[in-house]
Amino acid sequence: MTAPLLTTTVGSFAKPDYLQRARNQFAAGKVSAEELDRLTRQATKEVVELQEALGMDVFVHGEMERGDMVGFFGENTTGMRPGQLVRSYGNRYYHKPVIVDEVRWDRPITLDFWKYAQGLTSKPVKGMLTGPYTIVEWSFDEYYPSRRDAVLAMARVIHEEAAALAHAGAKYIQIDEPAIHTRPDADFDLGVESMEAVVRGVDAEFHTHICYGDIARIYPGMLRLPVKQIHLAFKNENFELLKILEQVPFDTSKELGLGVIDVHNHNVESVREVEEGIERTLALLPPERVWIEPDCGLKTRTPDEVLEKLKVMIAARDAVRRRFSSRGE
Amino acid sequence: MMPARWAAGERDRIAPLSISVVPLLGEMVHVHPEGTPEGIRPRGIIPRPVYSYSTCVRRERHLKFHKWATHRSKGLLLVRTTVVGSFPRVDDSPEGQRLRRAIARWERGDLPADGLRAVQAGILREVVREQAGAGLDLVTDGQVTWYDSQSHFASRLDGFEIGALERYFDTNTYYRQPRANGTVRWKAPITVVDFREAAAASPAPVKAVVMGPFTLAALSEGGISETSPLVQDLAAALGREVEALAAAGARDIQVDEPALVRRTSLPKGYQEVAATLVRGKGDARAWLFTYFGGVEPLLDDLLSLPFDVFGFDLVQGAGTAEALRARRIEKPVALGLLDARTTKLEDPHLVAKQALTFRDHIPFEDSFLSPSNGLEFLPRPKAREKLRVLVSAAKLANEGAR
Repeated sequence: MTAPLLTTTVGSFAKPDYLQRARNQFAAGKVSAEELDRLTRQATKEVVELQEALGMDVFVHGEMERGDMVGFFGENTTGMRPGQLVRSYGNRYYHKPVIVDEVRWDRPITLDFWKYAQGLTSKPVKGMLTGPYTIVEWSFDEYYPSRRDAVLAMARVIHEEAAALAHAGAKYIQIDEPAIHTRPDADFDLGVESMEAVVRGVDAEFHTHICYGDIARIYPGMLRLPVKQIHLAFKNENFELLKILEQVPFDTSKELGLGVIDVHNHNVESVREVEEGIERTLALLPPERVWIEPDCGLKTRTPDEVLEKLKVMIAARDAVRRRFSSRGE
Repeated sequence: MMPARWAAGERDRIAPLSISVVPLLGEMVHVHPEGTPEGIRPRGIIPRPVYSYSTCVRRERHLKFHKWATHRSKGLLLVRTTVVGSFPRVDDSPEGQRLRRAIARWERGDLPADGLRAVQAGILREVVREQAGAGLDLVTDGQVTWYDSQSHFASRLDGFEIGALERYFDTNTYYRQPRANGTVRWKAPITVVDFREAAAASPAPVKAVVMGPFTLAALSEGGISETSPLVQDLAAALGREVEALAAAGARDIQVDEPALVRRTSLPKGYQEVAATLVRGKGDARAWLFTYFGGVEPLLDDLLSLPFDVFGFDLVQGAGTAEALRARRIEKPVALGLLDARTTKLEDPHLVAKQALTFRDHIPFEDSFLSPSNGLEFLPRPKAREKLRVLVSAAKLANEGAR
């Protein structure tokens, strides 16, 4: 049985200043690829050490090598080319890739940094992939005649990458699909079909992360996704999302990834408010099927904020765990 | 005598950062800061003292309108061009990201609010001139100071608080979701400062844009309820904004209602809502623009609303194109034929051909070609290319119409 209330994070960590500076200088041709790689590995090592120090249960490698969750795949997938800046919200922009030809998996995309991070710790490190629906939805498509054709072609690419990670020993693989509810009526079936194509025949425990948007529109439909864990952003809306789980119970064969830290807010949560969110959830699901995580990737926060927020998350989890064990539950 | 190429072509070309000189004959020309256009020497032209920029802008705008009116009276120039509203505010160059850097500094407390405003105003002027320079007949401020289209209005009205991020329709952008927590009221002008800035900088007329009450209500937390007066209160508040824009000199004021594409009929009471919105517009033309889909089931009801111009997305709402072609419409229409959601560039000949299929169904000479929705979803260089396609398509359509 899974230990109760395992902790992990959603994927990205804030890049330290020295790495951000080096990435900018690399783009301007002032830093070599070797030097950038050295600094990226240094930052990855620091992320692993931070998770060790905090006592996290399942690690991530921090995505120090990635500028953006979609742009990175655009840069490294045959048939795509890096795009130019577009705004996603507020003052945040990303390089929106362009599909210009048939997409193909010619070589591992994420394996190198997963192996590096896993080599630094005895804790399991999650393989981190962006899902096919999200990659296509957040790219410009100048090649495929339909979104369905593009998504299913991209699913074959991500499947190959997932198989490579599993073959290398990844126990957990997370498929991020934050765009899967963009067109809940027209396209959700396609999202499920493409997820099936990704995980089919791959020996790993799959998690998916879906954030923001109209979650209620795809619930309980999302329970059809062929993954062990579905992670959602709860803190962002002060756990209001629990109401949909109160109306239709969560699938008993699945785990819930409970987002308890708002990654779009500079304010550090209090331990008490996070505890309350966890307690409310445990009225609906047993602790063995609940994982404690931030709402989303942490790259939007400063390194100091990340540290403080994760400390709160761990402290809240520990307090709830203690109460549960003292009650003999 | 002026060199022929300069007189005929370069006069209409308004390069960003160009400066104006007024030759002896009183014709205004634009000279690139790096000198006169290649191979052309302005012999015989003695520049007089340079007019102030705003005087030149007003004069250029007047000339542009005069040229259109003259051509129209001769049946020479017909459909014109406009954008829907938003325009990309950054590009990949270091200089093109100064707004991004300024906001980051302001958020850290390293830049005062007036410093940020100065950068925003600079980008706004640049965006306006970029549109006019591409040859657009009616431009906007590009909405470059808006955080997003919803919270920009809700946060400046009484009765709202701003909440979490939500996806904006089927785009890969997000907005801060407003939540009504009291009676919604207009406090002070929301868009007027930016409109004035744009109007002062633009060689082309400027269209002001406000988000519509139905969309603001529909996208706020809790959405629309039958019993809530939210839409009516928003209409009253935004009607005050329309009035303020008209008082500031706006001649074209557009209300955006993208959420209407989700409807199969006009929302209950929307006739009254529309009347409230346009009550204070004075002589300005009031526009209604819908996008991110089609409106064919409610087209007749929409066209009966008291707006002067109707804009439609004819890409995601391709069915609306058929519905328009099945009618004879008395009021001008903005035909959103250019796909503002893809980097793929259209062939201007095909766009022109499509535009001409509406010729017998709308008052073509008073109508517009436009992108399907705001251009901010594209990288800035692509948005510029789309504008060039749009202007070319309009020219070809007008030649075809003649």
